[in-house]
Amino acid sequence: MNNEISSAVLSRRCLLRNSAVGFGYLALQAMLSGPTGLSAASAASATLSHFPARAKRVIFLFMKGGPSHVDSFDYKPKLQQDDGKPFPFEKPRVQFAPTGNLLGSPWKFQQYGESGVHVSELFPHVAQHVDDICFLNSVHGTNPSHGGAALKLHTGSDNFIRPSMGSWVTYGLGTENDNLPGFVTICPTFAHGGAKNWDSAFLPARFQGVPLGVASQPSTKAEVKYIANPQWNAKVQRMQLDLMQAMNQEHLAMSGPESSLEARIQAFELAYQMQTEMPLAQNLAEETPDTLEMYGLNDAMTEDFGRQCLLARRFAERGVRFIQVTHSDSKVQWDQHGDLKAGHTKNAAEVDKPIAALLTDLKQRGLLEDTLVLWGGEFGRTPTCQGAGADGRDHNPEGFTMWMAGAGVQGGLRYGATDDYGYYAVENKMHVHDLHATLLHLLGMNHEQLTYKHAGRDFRLTDVHGQVHHQILA
Amino acid sequence: MSTPRCYRRSLCWIALLWILPTLRLSPCESRAAEPPAPSSDDLKFFEAKIRPLLVSKCIDCHGEDTQESALRLDTYAGMLGGGTSGPAIVPGSLDESLLLTAVSFKHELLQMPPDGKLADDEIQLLRQWVEKGAPHPESGDAGSITPRRGAIDLEEARKYWAFQPIVRPEVPEVEGQPAKPNPIDAFTFSHLQKQGLTPSAAADKRTLLRRATLDLIGLPPTPEEIAAFLADETPSAFEHVIDRLLSSRRYGERWGRHWLDVVRYADSNGLDENQGFVDAWRYRNYVIDAMNADKPYDRFLQEQVAGDLLEKDERHGEASGDYSAVIATGFLTLGPKVLAEKDPVKMEMDIIDEQIDTFSQAFLGMTIACARCHDHKFDPIYTADYYALAGIFKSTKSMQNYTVIAKYNERTLATDEEIKRKTELDAQRKAKETELAAQVKAANAALLKEIGAAADSAVPADAEQKYPEETKTQLAKLRKEIAQLTADAPELPTAMAVEEGTAADTQIHVRGSHLMLGRSVERGVPAVMNRSGALKIGESESGRLQLARWLTSEENPLTARVAVNRIWGWHFGEALAPTTDNFGRLGEAPTQPELLDWLAVELRENGWSIKKLQKQIMLSETYQFSSQAIAENEQLDPENKAHWRANVQRLDAESLRDSLLAVSGLLDTSRGESVLDLPKWKLVFDHTSKDATTYDTFRRSIYLPVIRNNMYDGFSLFDFATADVTTGSRGTSTVAPQALYAMNSELFLSASEGLAKRLIEEFPSDAEARVPRLYEIALGRLPQPHEVERLLKYASQLEPLLQTDAKIEDPHLAAWSAVCQSVLASNEFSYVE
Repeated sequence: MNNEISSAVLSRRCLLRNSAVGFGYLALQAMLSGPTGLSAASAASATLSHFPARAKRVIFLFMKGGPSHVDSFDYKPKLQQDDGKPFPFEKPRVQFAPTGNLLGSPWKFQQYGESGVHVSELFPHVAQHVDDICFLNSVHGTNPSHGGAALKLHTGSDNFIRPSMGSWVTYGLGTENDNLPGFVTICPTFAHGGAKNWDSAFLPARFQGVPLGVASQPSTKAEVKYIANPQWNAKVQRMQLDLMQAMNQEHLAMSGPESSLEARIQAFELAYQMQTEMPLAQNLAEETPDTLEMYGLNDAMTEDFGRQCLLARRFAERGVRFIQVTHSDSKVQWDQHGDLKAGHTKNAAEVDKPIAALLTDLKQRGLLEDTLVLWGGEFGRTPTCQGAGADGRDHNPEGFTMWMAGAGVQGGLRYGATDDYGYYAVENKMHVHDLHATLLHLLGMNHEQLTYKHAGRDFRLTDVHGQVHHQILA
Repeated sequence: MSTPRCYRRSLCWIALLWILPTLRLSPCESRAAEPPAPSSDDLKFFEAKIRPLLVSKCIDCHGEDTQESALRLDTYAGMLGGGTSGPAIVPGSLDESLLLTAVSFKHELLQMPPDGKLADDEIQLLRQWVEKGAPHPESGDAGSITPRRGAIDLEEARKYWAFQPIVRPEVPEVEGQPAKPNPIDAFTFSHLQKQGLTPSAAADKRTLLRRATLDLIGLPPTPEEIAAFLADETPSAFEHVIDRLLSSRRYGERWGRHWLDVVRYADSNGLDENQGFVDAWRYRNYVIDAMNADKPYDRFLQEQVAGDLLEKDERHGEASGDYSAVIATGFLTLGPKVLAEKDPVKMEMDIIDEQIDTFSQAFLGMTIACARCHDHKFDPIYTADYYALAGIFKSTKSMQNYTVIAKYNERTLATDEEIKRKTELDAQRKAKETELAAQVKAANAALLKEIGAAADSAVPADAEQKYPEETKTQLAKLRKEIAQLTADAPELPTAMAVEEGTAADTQIHVRGSHLMLGRSVERGVPAVMNRSGALKIGESESGRLQLARWLTSEENPLTARVAVNRIWGWHFGEALAPTTDNFGRLGEAPTQPELLDWLAVELRENGWSIKKLQKQIMLSETYQFSSQAIAENEQLDPENKAHWRANVQRLDAESLRDSLLAVSGLLDTSRGESVLDLPKWKLVFDHTSKDATTYDTFRRSIYLPVIRNNMYDGFSLFDFATADVTTGSRGTSTVAPQALYAMNSELFLSASEGLAKRLIEEFPSDAEARVPRLYEIALGRLPQPHEVERLLKYASQLEPLLQTDAKIEDPHLAAWSAVCQSVLASNEFSYVE
């Protein structure tokens, strides 16, 4: 296959649309403005960015439903003291539902590591890694409903159709492994934005997230759709392809030159490769018993999410650019309007050990150096109580915690702060747009320059917003 | 890369950018009394207290050198004339002077200066000054101050090509050639000639037939149709083909689908809460019928905006059971909406915004929704224009409520009489049910007494059998009556549709926020498009009817231009103006503006008949070009922008699926109706992520459910329209997952097997005869000898291989299925030349 690209013949847009090869926008920009003759293949492997990248890939651990920050990573002694008292500040103009008085956390907090960051007893395993984690205690969004908030977090917009952050990242950086998708999302949820949360929207289709399974099914069933043939064995399929490609080459000679016809010929070969590569990437039989044990695969409580985390590491190793893992039990997820104690205990128990294992594993393999791990939900929860027996909390987009670990961020840091009770972000406020800007920065991209022209104007992940929070960079 | 500038529809505050509401000052709405001539004391006050404050705090960004948001505070004219959207100061009015709103920091969206609030006494000084009437040394000239945006700007803006009235252009001559019988060719050939490009030769008959058939009905020609066309050697052979295709019922199923892209049709809400739109299919079928009937395009648009308001006789009389004009208004309700928005006022304004966005892009090719928060940055659309339209939609009832999770508006499709009858029968049924319950209760009480049980003890399970015969008969009679009443009064059908709401003008929402309202704006259409005065909207009317009539009036050139441009694009794979949904300055100008206008005139003058226009286009030499490359042209215009040859186009998602079903004999050509097996208002997805939508029908693709947020794979993989926004031209991507789908999906496997069975049935023993048949069915042509040989070789090699596979029951059929799959997955099947 001839990968030489002549900028005189093809527009940049045309190239991005029609090439099956995984180079990204930044590489392409450099390629088309650079000396002629630079091939697509070499551009794909070149490290081109707006400035030096700290992270090469992202693993996003999405806690669907909104985990409570005041019960996990945002320790509020005053909330404990004033348990049961009225909330002394004004509540937001728009709330999801009415809430009552302050509710102290039912969980004890304790300091960990050299940094001495407080973590609640919900996350004893993750707590062992606090010195590698940068807690973003002042994240805030704008939407108090699940759908709007999830879309805002994933796409930067809660009411318009925009590409997801995984698509932007893959669009910007391309992929490191042409035989695998550049962006995968493991067991995603179809609710609250569904595919919009991994969609490429107006970006070319190959930057779309490829879902593996769905939240309603166990992660043992997490695989790419149509990756296997129910009828033909590999030998038959290869013969089918040979016949088809012979026809295609003749057809091309008659109709060409036509980039889309060439790209389609290439796409079939890639698909054939992917059929082989994907099962290998997912083959957990290659892992040692110790590793399986570390991720909690031997325990019913942690087994499902543990497998997702382990798959994430395997994809990271193979050069997948953006990997999302979703924790979403099929009913209420982290959405404890009531039954907070039981619900959060169960949720945390399911994810705590696997997440800690992922951090340990990435570190041991040297992958944490250039892998950015991002943890969080679409919002946090109110410090005020809700529900029967005062055992619940409402949605709270006004101030909540997400955390980052790995490539380029300062470990052992609590960045930003909410008020004394954890309701509003007050110090070093980090809007979701800022989170996106900072994430792109860590990947070596300027969020104002990563653009795509659509319907007559340049679009960005951060729209017209977003500030990089340099203070968290290592 | 430039930074994005048209911050379209972004709601949140743009940091440090200060935008004020638009105020178009027409002479009749002068807003404040002439400022009194300032006294010298007042001027001293200004010079001593106010000017220094402005200079130190404001002028850096709003002065001579820099005018953030085009606002200047260093001149009196600048203050009154204001920034991009209107005055900062209204002398004497504290509430209307947005300078004061900004410095008071009371509003979260509008706070100035950006680096911190002024001291309280400074704010007090500004208040005093405005209260005094804002005395200023330049205020003597106040009478001559004109708003930044006046009539003069509009006249200038109207010179832009898209706003120009459509005048029939002269048909050009092609130098050195006899006059072209089809004016379209005169335009295109002269265009090519000017660029030094050679027009392609005509495509051969087989290619042309495949192109036209897939183009008009989305299915490949059958071998019989090919034979008939080849046999017809009359000059009008192709015309006959076009006529046949245009009158096929399959035509509306293809061209209706193009329209559904434009109106972002879907069967579910998508966005945050994915509510099923169980009645959306009625609108879909309305569109198919309208296309098949060649409903005049002007009429078609009017019905979608205001079908319910058109005169009864224009609606063909609802008594006859034709509710199509009401169903058509479903257009306004089909959009994706944030249904769990906790703020009902914001929800309403967001829904209106979606309506404006779709209305303006779909019909006018303008991005009017950009002006929700600020004047359009590139096109002459003011914020006031936006709220003039918003008033019309706000006066329209599109929703039943704005509570979480909100419900769209619907209309019962029945006459008043039918509704009355239904109400009566329901009441009768209810009465009978009450009677039945009372009788059962009495009989139970009697029974308990009879068996000596306590009155409050449980009734035996078989109680009814122990009732007296007389009671049993009575109960049976009642039940029969209830059943009959239920059968006589079935649920009346409903449609997603709008109706008139509470008519009122809408206030400008500063920065698009409903929390900060500006002045009220008269309902109407954007000033730049309005050449003959305001719409005449009655006090109790929403204005939709007037909007619909204006939309298709001579006065508005956009509607016809946008329509013919898209039609051209759907035929050729590339529109004359490539950005089909944006004719504004950020769009790309048409490559052949005269041709565009000529087509627009034709559409209007032929009674807005789309079919007539299509026939004219398809009869042109231009449509019939071959797709063969010409080396010299390749050098000059490699992307074929000037259209010197036919584009090689990939089948779209629907045509691909429908063609697979057609060639394999699986296609079910019956008409589809409802697609969701879901009670009304239910979500297609809740927290469980379980997908209950089924796609197991062999009907044409237009009848499959369009589920936002979780589109059918056969759609989403092949560049189906997003169904969220107007899509006048789809992209074409080529990605590996498409190849996986062709290799491994049920659709491709069953189509391949269906086709193989068809071939084996036709030629049970003569394998060689199958190959030409296969080529003709699938590719519309006959194979060359080496192609026959190659295919047979693969089939015979595959068969022994498959014999060893225990899964395979019939290795011969399997081998032929496998080679059929290769043909169906080939580029030639997926592309039209």
